[in-house]
Amino acid sequence: MCCLPAQAAVHVLVVSGLGGEAEYAKRFADQASHIAQASQSVAGDAQHVRLLSAEAATAAAVEQSLTSLAGTLRSGDQLIVVLIGHGSYDGSDYRYNLPGPDLTGARLVKLLDAFAPAVQQLVVVATSASGALAKPLQRAQRVVITATKSGAERNATRYASQWERALTTDAADRDKDGTVTAQEAHDFAERQVADAFKADAALATEHAQLVGDGASRIVVALLGAKALYAADAQLQVLRGEQQQVEARLDAARSRKDTMSEDAWYGALEPLLVEIAKLDQRIDAREAQLSTAGGAR
Amino acid sequence: MKRLLMCVLAVGLLPAVAALQFDGDPQRATALRPCDADRDRGRQAESRRCYQALANSAAPALVRAEAQWALGDLRAANELFRAAAAAAPRSVQPRLRWGRLYLAAHQYAEASALFAEAQQLDANSFELQVAAAELGAQRFQGGAALEELGKLAAQQPQRAEPLLITSQLQLDAGDTAAAIDSAARALTLLESQQRTPLAALSALAAAELAAGRDPQATVDKALRFNPRYGDIHATLARTEIMRRRYREAAQWLQRAVQVEPDNWQALEELGVNQLRLGDAEGARRALERAYAGDPFSATTVNTLRVLDTLPQYTVEQSSSPPLALQLHRKESAVLQPYVEQLARQAVASFSARYGWQPKQPIRIELYPNHDDFAVRTAGLPGIGLLGVTFGDVVAMDSPSGRRAGDFHWGSTLWHELAHVFTLSATDHRVPRWLSEGLSVFEEWRTGPTPGVAIEPNVMDAWSAGKLLPVARLDEGFMRPAYEGQVQVSYAQAGLVCLFIEQRYGIDKLVALLHQYQRDTTVPAAVQAALGLSSEAFDIEFAAFMKQRFAPWAADPKRLRVQLRAAQTALEKKDWEAATRAAREAVQVLPEYTGSASGYLLLAAARLGASDKPAAIEALLAWRAAGGWDPEGQRQLVQLLSEAGGEAEALPVRVALNLVDPLAIADHQPLGEQLLKTGKPLEARREYRALLALQTQDPAAAWLGLARAEAAAGNAALARRHALQSLEIAPHFRPAQQFLLELRGEPAP
Repeated sequence: MCCLPAQAAVHVLVVSGLGGEAEYAKRFADQASHIAQASQSVAGDAQHVRLLSAEAATAAAVEQSLTSLAGTLRSGDQLIVVLIGHGSYDGSDYRYNLPGPDLTGARLVKLLDAFAPAVQQLVVVATSASGALAKPLQRAQRVVITATKSGAERNATRYASQWERALTTDAADRDKDGTVTAQEAHDFAERQVADAFKADAALATEHAQLVGDGASRIVVALLGAKALYAADAQLQVLRGEQQQVEARLDAARSRKDTMSEDAWYGALEPLLVEIAKLDQRIDAREAQLSTAGGAR
Repeated sequence: MKRLLMCVLAVGLLPAVAALQFDGDPQRATALRPCDADRDRGRQAESRRCYQALANSAAPALVRAEAQWALGDLRAANELFRAAAAAAPRSVQPRLRWGRLYLAAHQYAEASALFAEAQQLDANSFELQVAAAELGAQRFQGGAALEELGKLAAQQPQRAEPLLITSQLQLDAGDTAAAIDSAARALTLLESQQRTPLAALSALAAAELAAGRDPQATVDKALRFNPRYGDIHATLARTEIMRRRYREAAQWLQRAVQVEPDNWQALEELGVNQLRLGDAEGARRALERAYAGDPFSATTVNTLRVLDTLPQYTVEQSSSPPLALQLHRKESAVLQPYVEQLARQAVASFSARYGWQPKQPIRIELYPNHDDFAVRTAGLPGIGLLGVTFGDVVAMDSPSGRRAGDFHWGSTLWHELAHVFTLSATDHRVPRWLSEGLSVFEEWRTGPTPGVAIEPNVMDAWSAGKLLPVARLDEGFMRPAYEGQVQVSYAQAGLVCLFIEQRYGIDKLVALLHQYQRDTTVPAAVQAALGLSSEAFDIEFAAFMKQRFAPWAADPKRLRVQLRAAQTALEKKDWEAATRAAREAVQVLPEYTGSASGYLLLAAARLGASDKPAAIEALLAWRAAGGWDPEGQRQLVQLLSEAGGEAEALPVRVALNLVDPLAIADHQPLGEQLLKTGKPLEARREYRALLALQTQDPAAAWLGLARAEAAAGNAALARRHALQSLEIAPHFRPAQQFLLELRGEPAP
């Protein structure tokens, strides 16, 4: 249940920083590549997804990409930035480790602040010490996710690999609507990281945080058929009808606290049945298109 | 067997921290003697005035330290002893007395350091040797201490202290006749020297009680000497605690604080003992009084802190059988069904076996914080226990209290519940070895990990001739003479019970237990139940061991040689060589099922050779022999599932809950399989567990629950749960389809 206007554009920048060791370098590059690939489902146009990896991922390249995007994106558009790798914090500023000069936190803030205020931003900094950026990056129309709670959590993080999993499988799609929102992806990644530390009986060295409103309205991946056949007119009509029922469902949810349990489920059932029947028609149409190799 | 090493009754814990003090040092300053005399006679006001005057005087620091100690100001005493030691760097006495202060405060490391320092100044000091022996006795190093005490008694036969400490050690070892004799000799000496007889009277009363005699005459004699001598009752309470008779202990402790209301130690022990009886409120009342008088006791402070956490727990009561489950709120919803089901099975099994029915609820407490469990059990953190039984109260680590795979909580609970029955059926007379042996035997025979599981170090002890005669088997628990003997004794006790069952039948094993419905000895019980002397029994048991463990006996080094060979071959990916060595390791000691056992090496070797059927066979054999490591069981589940053996995998999936019920990934597939095999009520438990564990896929869990309710015939609940699933995930196709089917609107 996302809410971008039909004409809004989504642009994604994924950066894989220095690994230090070969194992980390490969891991970061792979994660960035998979996230970029998954992001195409929401960006629609492959040109809207930029991947900076290995030697190409310099501070200058990041600056150039963001500056260029700042000139391109209009109000209502959406920017998703994902930074993977190692970060550090010296007590006054964050540094993102890149080939050549590092990108400082202060510079990153400046680059992101250059976008039009009404551009919805999601900034995921999945590096060590990234918690230092949470406050400086905080701004209206921007959701910030950091892998750590402060600059003092300096160990290599596990968050990026779980963010990658959230975008590339259906594990994070809690409401099973075929879309993964930033909130769902974050909830999933955060829990997986915590569980992994618990399973290892290890002290957790990272505690992710999400700052800003609207994470549940930012879609970071579309799964399965949802990513297909977006152009089919019949499906567009059905999905339009579906959005109307979902709007009624949202309205009903807002009244839940005032109702008894029986009354609530009594009110909920017809709406859910309506959605189920619409989904049946959508599935049937998608199956038809699939058999016919229809337009996407 | 790691679990067995650590799984003990509370026997012997309290005496270690609250033993009698036998401080008759004649070198203490003569200025203290009038004050001591008033104290020993119970003239409290006079003695306090006397000590106070000394404390405020210009007497040497050592004298003032003693006076402050007697007044209960341990901090001031400590500082004064420190000053006395600093002022006399070559003197034994201040260090000895300072060490005694720490000994009395149960701070054994500090006491030991001070005694060691004093020993460097005078290695031959008799008083120092007595103090060191007492420290050894309190630290439960009885074996070595007894020998030393014999020498000290011979060296100075007019001194009563070595005899008194000896009496206590003899009592710990169950030799009540010798304990009475030692205490009586000490009493004679003290009376002939016109010294206070109170310590000797306490020791004598304790030995009399342990021997089944009425100690009242001795108690009366002590109270005639000092009407406020509560310590004699406290000593008798400790004797009852040694015998796990906690209700009787509570009565003695009540009397102790009646005659001596400011006996903080007795109040502390009363508080800790009330917890053993499941009386948290009574415990708090006593401990708060103890704290008011002695805020330095770690036991009192720690136990009060744990009591403060009790609101974080829920207590679920159930009847038929009566159970009270105390579980932490954060995990009670997950654990309660598994704990209750297993407890019910255990109670049914043991009731039938031992002919005793619980009359009041058996209380089962699970602690997610191991230190809380340790404090609740012994008053101090850092004990290596997993579970403890106090009569009809079982306390143990929760599965979340340790890393997954570190222990099998189901077996621990089974073991402890067996204690409830063997203790209750004999009014706590059953000796330690038999209660532990039956618990181990029940783990093997009826518990959740059937199979006689034996660790190689137990076999090492057997090969080295270190197993004890049955009549002395308690010593292996009470006074271990070598590292690991407690663990060996658990296994030996279990094997003794196994032998009796196999050679004489289960009825005879139960008959042996029932011999302890009255006071008896091991030889008499063996004779009455089995018709032979304990010496003859030992010979038969030795023959049983030789026969059962013949492959091991043929070459006691072979197991480890083969395990190493298998490991090395696995590292070299020489699967066939690894297979041969691992198979031989299994043949040498099939009872060894630990994480480095031949079974698991064999499975790894066969998997390496892509021979999955043989890997499955190895893992199934491992489980049948008692193997339970969760990763090994998960591997077996996966292999069986891949091979289409879901039916065989199902009991393995179920068994995982008795090791690692908090592992979220296991519940969904288990729920599915239970549904498929027509067990909706058990499936429901799994889906509820998923929800309680806050699964990241609650919509699927609600749907599972809906399907389970539908299969159980609860249509209304099924519909509600389907809606709960769709409330979270309105587009969840399987839930949509399920709801439409319930509504009679099948898919087009």
